[in-house]
Amino acid sequence: MDLTTEMNKRNMPCIMVDIAVTINGSTVSGQSGMTILEVARENGIDIPTLCHRTEFTPIGACRVCVVEVEGSRTLVGSCHTPITEGMVIHTHSPKVLETRRTIVELLLASHSGTCYMCDKANICELRAIAADLDVGFPEFQVRRRYYPIEDDSPYIVRDLTKCILCRRCVWACREVAKKDVFAIGYRGFDSKVVVDSDQPLNKEVCRDCGICIPFCPTGALGKPRKIAEEKEGQLLIVKG
Amino acid sequence: MNNHPQQPSNRSEDRQNLLLLLKDAQRRSGYLSDQLMRELAESVGVTCSEIYGVGTFYSFLSTRPQGRNIIRACKSLPCCLKDSHLVISSIEGAIGIRAGEITPDGRFSFELVNCIGACDSAPAILVNNDLYTELTPRKISQILKEYD
Amino acid sequence: MPEQRVVLKNCGIIDPGQIATYLAADGFKALKKARDVGQEQVIQTIKDSGLRGRGGAGFPCGVKWEMAKDAPGDNKYVICNADEGEVGTFKDRHILSNDPFSLIEGMAIACYAIGARKGYIYLRAEYHYLYDRLLESINQVCEAGFLDGLNIDVYEGAGAYVCGEESALMDSIEGKRGEVRYRPPFPPTKGLWGKPTIINNVETLMNIPWIILHGAEWFCEIGTERSKGTKVFSVSGDVTKPGVYEMVLGSQLRELVEGLAGARAVKAIQVGGATGRIVPHDMMDTPLTFETLLGAGAITVFDETRDIVDIVRQTLEFLAEESCGKCSPCREGTEVMVGILGRFTRGEGSAHDIAAMERLSQAMMLSALCGLGQAAPNPVLDSLQYFRGEYDSRVKG
Repeated sequence: MDLTTEMNKRNMPCIMVDIAVTINGSTVSGQSGMTILEVARENGIDIPTLCHRTEFTPIGACRVCVVEVEGSRTLVGSCHTPITEGMVIHTHSPKVLETRRTIVELLLASHSGTCYMCDKANICELRAIAADLDVGFPEFQVRRRYYPIEDDSPYIVRDLTKCILCRRCVWACREVAKKDVFAIGYRGFDSKVVVDSDQPLNKEVCRDCGICIPFCPTGALGKPRKIAEEKEGQLLIVKG
Repeated sequence: MNNHPQQPSNRSEDRQNLLLLLKDAQRRSGYLSDQLMRELAESVGVTCSEIYGVGTFYSFLSTRPQGRNIIRACKSLPCCLKDSHLVISSIEGAIGIRAGEITPDGRFSFELVNCIGACDSAPAILVNNDLYTELTPRKISQILKEYD
Repeated sequence: MPEQRVVLKNCGIIDPGQIATYLAADGFKALKKARDVGQEQVIQTIKDSGLRGRGGAGFPCGVKWEMAKDAPGDNKYVICNADEGEVGTFKDRHILSNDPFSLIEGMAIACYAIGARKGYIYLRAEYHYLYDRLLESINQVCEAGFLDGLNIDVYEGAGAYVCGEESALMDSIEGKRGEVRYRPPFPPTKGLWGKPTIINNVETLMNIPWIILHGAEWFCEIGTERSKGTKVFSVSGDVTKPGVYEMVLGSQLRELVEGLAGARAVKAIQVGGATGRIVPHDMMDTPLTFETLLGAGAITVFDETRDIVDIVRQTLEFLAEESCGKCSPCREGTEVMVGILGRFTRGEGSAHDIAAMERLSQAMMLSALCGLGQAAPNPVLDSLQYFRGEYDSRVKG
């Protein structure tokens, strides 16, 4: 069976084999072990991502990077799906775009909605992706996750009301900073990035590395900002 | 160090008893206190956050104090169709608390849970690990008498 | 004759506490035969039989085994999924209570076929009362000398529906939160602890000893072209005789619900539990197969007095509570749906809400990380298709 051979191949990543795939109608070549996202980016195709970062192993949680692969019943996450010979991929088909819009809209529906006052407004990845996909005011109604702002630490301010549960901070702390301060707690909609037994972030558990801050795609993690200090990043250029 | 869910670490074999350890700890102390979780984190070699993450994921683990006996009444559809609400209100009446609470004497805590797989003899409840089926409000006080 | 006992052949016949009674019913002859004919032949027989997974997905069992056998590596695992959490399912409880030995024999054959030395039975915490009895059965099998160095253990969950999903189940055995993993890699190449692993439902493994003993041809004669063998159903709800029924695949839903379980004045039936399908009474002639209706075999019957919108709301509430929370479409989407369905049950729905649910359903089916999120919209879409009037009548204004 095709799948078996493919899976056996995946177990031997040291042997690099050239693999031809079709992305949006053009045939391109990648190497075994590469993900769809990697091949797409190498060929100048932009697929939006939220939980993915090249610094660490794929997470696969946000689903914003889904693409259409012919023959697959569902869309697949491009950040974690390896390419296979002859794969026919559509990264911006109507089905893909509509699904991405709905996912971003879902994330916005439970997001804090205080972009005007957010320190990260100008560099927020969620806001940029929403703008790119023409997602405006979310149609879905859902309760918002309100948590107190944690500003006990002199290095990091955490506002989980803005957290979209992408887990990049968890991975950054674990795989980049090698400190493992964060974990995911609770379940389902109540999931939350927890510190110890769900304590506010403070300087006892979290030292001054601040590595996680730039990994946060939204304003959930930030540096303490003095009043009237300039916000990071340039103003967003919203298309239209 | 690396506890990446997609890449099990070498030490992972030692870790597989974590659920068992958490359940044991809970049996002994009634619930997973901060102190208990810190000790477990130390002995298993993972962070406290990680333990807390596991402890809050599973509905049979509790990070808050629980009664000596735990009543779990099924609230899923097959039991609902057999009037489980009557059984639930009868339990609430018998022990004087609502779902999610503990009796003041610490004898019972009461929870509404999802399907416990006894739909053929609904409505059903679990008291600790004992299954009671085909319940009527009248049977409740008799059953609860067995638990101190 | 739609009723036939293959899986349940020993239930009520043998004493589940006495291995001698199982041996008297041809117990462990299949294991011996398997070891005589060799790994290759065992897998070929299972492939030829056309046996498909009974947990809901219906993946060909022999293909899965072959992948695991061919995967490189010394440490391999067999996991029996006894985390029967689907709403309205209790067949595995019935099987484990009445015939644990067939399951252990099935597992031993699976271990032999793929070259595993360790097997786990992942038992849901709600079935803790079966835990000691299962261990005792394994002990008896071990003492009778059938396991031959093979280690079978019972691993108990801690209350999480999503752990019935195979990748979450493996994370749970690894002592983690039972969160879903993305695939590939698939378990037969990279499963528990990153080692080749097969995960089979209790009922799937129950079929193994008989297929080995009687041969694939015998099994192929039962069922339909693509759905071979029998299926065990858990029937509950508005019926006079709720319980466990084993039927030949391809039997009509009506035969089961009205004929065997004694349902009258049926309005709708939920087939396959919370993530399954809702079918109206006039579709009861549908045959039960993998291609039409099946899931894990949960059949919940609703009579004419029941409120479909409220049933769907309760179903989505269940799914929202049990979502692992890893992927955004399922975590957020189930919660949004619970809100919308709540408005309908209070008579405050809108046409706009229906459109939003349909749009959301499409996105969840296409993008959720696992079967739970992908199938969560099933009850919503089915009820909108067959019971649209019940929604329309609750549109406000």
